[in-house]
Amino acid sequence: MASRFWTQGDSDTEEEESDYDEQEDDAPVETATATAASRYYSGNASDSDDSDGQKRVVRRVKDKRFDELSATVDQMKNAMKINDWVSLQESFEKINKQLGKVMRVTESDKPPNLYIKALVMLEDFLNQALANKEAKKKMSSSNAKALNSMKQKLKKNNKLYEDMINQCREKPELFEEKVEEEQESEDDVTDDNVTDDDVSDDLDAEETDDEEETGNDAEAGSGWEKMLSKKDKMMDKQFKDPSQITWDTVNKKFKEIVAARGKKGTGRMELVEQLTFLTRVAKTPAQKLEIFFSVVSAQFDVNPSLSGHMPINVWKQCVQNMLAILDVLTQYPNIVVDDMVEPDENETQKGADFNGTIRIWGNLVAFLEKVDVEYFKSLQVIDPHTREYVERLKDEPMFLVLAQNVQEYLEKVGDHKGASKVALKRVELVYYKPQEVYDAMRKLAEQDNGESESGEEKVVNEIRGPTAFVATPELVPRKPTFPENSRALMDILVSLIYKYGDERTKARAMLCDIYHHAIFDEFSTSRDLLLMSHLQDNVQHMDISTQILFNRAMSQLGLCSFRASLVPEAHGCLSELYSAGRVKELLAQGVSQSRYHEKTPEQERLERRRQMPYHMHINLELLESVHLICAMLLEVPNMAANVHDAKRKVISKNFRRLLEMSERQTFTGPPENVRDHVMAATRALRQGDFDKAFAVIKSLDVWKLLRNKDSVLEMLKAKIKEEALRTYLFTYSLAYDSLSLDHLSKMFDLSDAQTRSIVSKMMINEELHASWDQPTGCIVFRDVEHTRLQALAFHLTEKLSVLAETNERAIEARFGGGGLEGLPLRRKDGQDYAGAAASGGGGGGWWQEFSFNQNRQGSSGGRGGYTISGRASAPGLVSSGYSRDGQARSGGYGSGRAYHTGSGARGGQSDGSTRMVNLNRGVRT
Amino acid sequence: MASKYDLTPRIAPNLDRHLVFPLLEFLQERGLYPEEDILKAKIELLNHTNMVDYAMDIHKSLYHSDDVPQDMIDRRAEVVGRLKALEDGAAPLIGFLQNPNAVQELRADKQYNLQMLNDRYQIGPEQIDALYDYAKFQFECGNYSGAADYLYQYRALCTNSDKSLSALWGKLAAEVLMQNWDIALEELNRLKEIIDSKNFSSPLNQVQSRIWLMHWSLFIFFNHDNGRTQIIDLFNQDKYLNAIQTNAPHLLRYLATAFIVNKRRRPQFKEFIKVIQQEQYSHEDPITEFLACIYVNYDFDGAQKKMKECEEVILNDPFLGKRIEEGNFTTVPLRDEFLENARLFIFETYCRIHQRINMGVLADKLNLNYEEAERWIVNLIRTSKLEAKIDSNLGTIIMEPSYTNVYEQLIDHTKALSTRTYKIVHQLLENAPGQTAR
Repeated sequence: MASRFWTQGDSDTEEEESDYDEQEDDAPVETATATAASRYYSGNASDSDDSDGQKRVVRRVKDKRFDELSATVDQMKNAMKINDWVSLQESFEKINKQLGKVMRVTESDKPPNLYIKALVMLEDFLNQALANKEAKKKMSSSNAKALNSMKQKLKKNNKLYEDMINQCREKPELFEEKVEEEQESEDDVTDDNVTDDDVSDDLDAEETDDEEETGNDAEAGSGWEKMLSKKDKMMDKQFKDPSQITWDTVNKKFKEIVAARGKKGTGRMELVEQLTFLTRVAKTPAQKLEIFFSVVSAQFDVNPSLSGHMPINVWKQCVQNMLAILDVLTQYPNIVVDDMVEPDENETQKGADFNGTIRIWGNLVAFLEKVDVEYFKSLQVIDPHTREYVERLKDEPMFLVLAQNVQEYLEKVGDHKGASKVALKRVELVYYKPQEVYDAMRKLAEQDNGESESGEEKVVNEIRGPTAFVATPELVPRKPTFPENSRALMDILVSLIYKYGDERTKARAMLCDIYHHAIFDEFSTSRDLLLMSHLQDNVQHMDISTQILFNRAMSQLGLCSFRASLVPEAHGCLSELYSAGRVKELLAQGVSQSRYHEKTPEQERLERRRQMPYHMHINLELLESVHLICAMLLEVPNMAANVHDAKRKVISKNFRRLLEMSERQTFTGPPENVRDHVMAATRALRQGDFDKAFAVIKSLDVWKLLRNKDSVLEMLKAKIKEEALRTYLFTYSLAYDSLSLDHLSKMFDLSDAQTRSIVSKMMINEELHASWDQPTGCIVFRDVEHTRLQALAFHLTEKLSVLAETNERAIEARFGGGGLEGLPLRRKDGQDYAGAAASGGGGGGWWQEFSFNQNRQGSSGGRGGYTISGRASAPGLVSSGYSRDGQARSGGYGSGRAYHTGSGARGGQSDGSTRMVNLNRGVRT
Repeated sequence: MASKYDLTPRIAPNLDRHLVFPLLEFLQERGLYPEEDILKAKIELLNHTNMVDYAMDIHKSLYHSDDVPQDMIDRRAEVVGRLKALEDGAAPLIGFLQNPNAVQELRADKQYNLQMLNDRYQIGPEQIDALYDYAKFQFECGNYSGAADYLYQYRALCTNSDKSLSALWGKLAAEVLMQNWDIALEELNRLKEIIDSKNFSSPLNQVQSRIWLMHWSLFIFFNHDNGRTQIIDLFNQDKYLNAIQTNAPHLLRYLATAFIVNKRRRPQFKEFIKVIQQEQYSHEDPITEFLACIYVNYDFDGAQKKMKECEEVILNDPFLGKRIEEGNFTTVPLRDEFLENARLFIFETYCRIHQRINMGVLADKLNLNYEEAERWIVNLIRTSKLEAKIDSNLGTIIMEPSYTNVYEQLIDHTKALSTRTYKIVHQLLENAPGQTAR
């Protein structure tokens, strides 16, 4: 609102108009304040600029209120001049009352700028008065009392308008006229008052500005750019004669400007401009460098809030400045940048021909990281569906150039630790890019440079035009060099990081590496990396952004293993992600609302700050469909195998839940989302109708996101057929005495060899109680149903052994070491039991397979700590960052799981031995 | 095709230069590669050792000329000179060690020995180090027995653990090259202990050492009588299996072969199958693929094809294809053993899932002719390894169903319970004597 107002306020006609209004209203107008005020309200009523006469009445009321307000402000000013706090207090109360009226009239929820400025003015005056102890002592008691109460009131009141006040302080341009007024009045105060105000040079400078401004009033107030240009002019004036400029003058001015930084009333942009100007007049390279560092940090200050991002043009300038710093550093290798020691006052006086080392305070790595953070933030904030976002993405090569140069410089200097940090930043920009995107980026970088080469030079000339005392040629390449292949780039960077980086850098680089391998379909490499690094064991202790990276890497690994047709592995990777239903949150791709758990605004803000920019997202729909399909492929035959006690073994709880939900529906409509599709496929698969199941899955439109779509679908079809065959056999084997191989192969459209392999596997794993009749090519089923009595007897023995085991455990717990003796015995016993179960009932047989499976995964886990620990640790990781109770829960869960797998492994081991003695059993009996 | 599965290029980097020679010799004999290439490789190998004479010989046979390049001659002179210098350096200590009376004075206490040498013979640390250098040089020259002796004595005197370790490696290499398998095995175990001990420098180093150790041990295990069991014991340890999986998957071939040939290691075998399954992607080898065919994919036709390839591989592998000359014809004992066992593996698994098998098909699967197959099976049945009957009219084998009686299972279940209970009671009484006494 304000800015719109001011652009209008520039026009002369407007001004005249407002003057005219003033006269009409006969308001007590004295100084330029009134002009400002009227300008202000005319701005507020900007809708009716052209049609003055028609809405006159409405404007009158408004005007009146505003005039009252401005009159009060004037009163306050007068009171200030004579330091009369009592009347000031009265005016303050009055102005607050008037504010209410004004706001009612204007129907806006924002207080008028005039009021805010008054507050600012008051605050400044108050601070000034408080700072001046002597004057305070001299005050009369009533005056002092009023001062104190004012202090409190103002404090309380200002809190309400804190934002506006800050805005006013930061961008006085918007309140420009006011600022001038204020300064004038302040000057008056200093004149009138007994207090001896030391006016800063800065203020003086601005005063001269003001004088100038009064000269050409027509141009005044066109916005800060103009102002700054004037400031530059002023600086130019100061440094008009190049011969007069010495190191001392520049240094003095530099100190002055730096001292003004962070003070009230110092425009952040101005500061940058002034410093930039100084870089041009710096006398020695060291000094230039020093000033450059200040410029960059001043540029970082331009955006004060944590959530917003740095303006993009400032960001770009900042990158250019950093490059310039590197230019200087490469040109003068004797200059050392360091943030550990405070260098001498006059260190920078040493000229270009000085041979010893010159120390300059600064930290390139920190600067670079800050630049990266700002880039990241801007991508977070910008709406990804706009052109702006795409434009912003194109700035990436720019950053890469900078990072590359900084890294090279640091390596040259021997700061490998810093270099590894910078390398990590580069890795983080590359790791998520598939080769196509990487190529596009490379092309863009090359093109960009071809174009901008000329343009850039022009700009450079423009800036450096007037007086560049220390000319620095562009030594550092402005063009990024990319290897052909993103893998090559990753390899170089990552190996550097592994060599020199600290723990966190290494862990992050490792995760990026895993991610990158995974998108390049190198499942085994990326799995091995994950296993060898043991990251999943300690990722819970890392910071949240690393945990998110871990989650991202895990899900990408899951997708990769799915593409490589490793269904159980894919399910293992993804199931944890979906167990809590907070995928979005875990991948930092959007905020998920939970019904039961309210988040505090603080949490929400933190979460928003963690979000991944849109272009780095992993497609959630694809992820979900892969997860559910994997669960389906594993769970459907599993359910068919133990119809009788389905609760006994659940592979995917999530999937079971969804299935139950969809079964409860009375009518099933055509599938709409991923979930519906998979459920429809599941229904078909349970009937053994693999064609339909595949058709439904195929109709998902996420498949077009896959590069090798055809082969993946082909694989999926084969898997579905296989599982359909297994399901069919589980479900209907009881009804057959024999089945011919031909028939089965035809039925499921598989080759004889495939069918034979699948069925054989089931036989070996004792899932299917049957054997082949080779000459006729038939499967002959054995009837191994136990009678009821037998089944009960088995139950009884099972219970007995459990009892015995519990006893043993109790003793072990009591006497510790005694258990050692019992251990081998028990294991042997378990073995027998397992053997019996294997050739026993249907349920028993499957359980066996389960433990075998578990063990298989378990052993890989034992070796690399993969599946088990991955599973156990993933939930821990997942919730640890978010809520305390979540962590406790997941901790318990994880350990429970670990215990489970442990026993599974034991079962598997014993089962292995039973199977192996099979041939010898003949001898025994 | 045969050279496709040749592991020499992968094994060689993990061996000492001198240890590669036997491999090259073997390759030369098999004729997998052109003779010239192998000779060149040999020269290349020798260039960095001190066996200049040998290099010259090879050079002559390679280029069929008596001329020897000048640099070889120069090098020869240099080597001889250096040998002299080192010999002089180590002379006092060698003199001491060759004197049986003086050696008597050495005791088990290392510190004492050093002190004694220093005081009475003026032999200080420099001389001891000189002994090490001399031994190394001897080894480089191909005088393995001398090197082995000196290194042994050096180890008794040295205090530097790093050098002691390298001395141990040197000793192992020397013993291997001299084909003293028993002593080499001892050295191997000693080295293994040091590597496995906790204070080894870095994990990376440790893994690398393990891989070296495993490569070097191949020489021993496939020549030692008891080696095939021991290779399983060593390789199948978690730490070593880990190392194999990470950095040297080709070693799985040897472990797989050992497992196939060795009947007694069945429990670990199951575990090993899982490892093979995991590593399928990283290494292609007929022998591991053969196992995968039988135990992972149950693809018997595939297994049969692989078996033929395996035979080829074994014959061409320097470690597996060791020959024994018997009279006029040579045999490769390992091949025969392997084939026999592999056949048994296939058959065993095949029988488990069939109730009736056609003899002809079976014979085909086992790479035997009908008569042989029948004889083989009859033998199995006679030695009651297999419960089956042959129906010679139809030409089929009929398996006896092998699942156990329900009652028997129940008895099995409960059998152990009573002993376990007794055990508990016993423990209880043992651990709480005070209470029972009362």
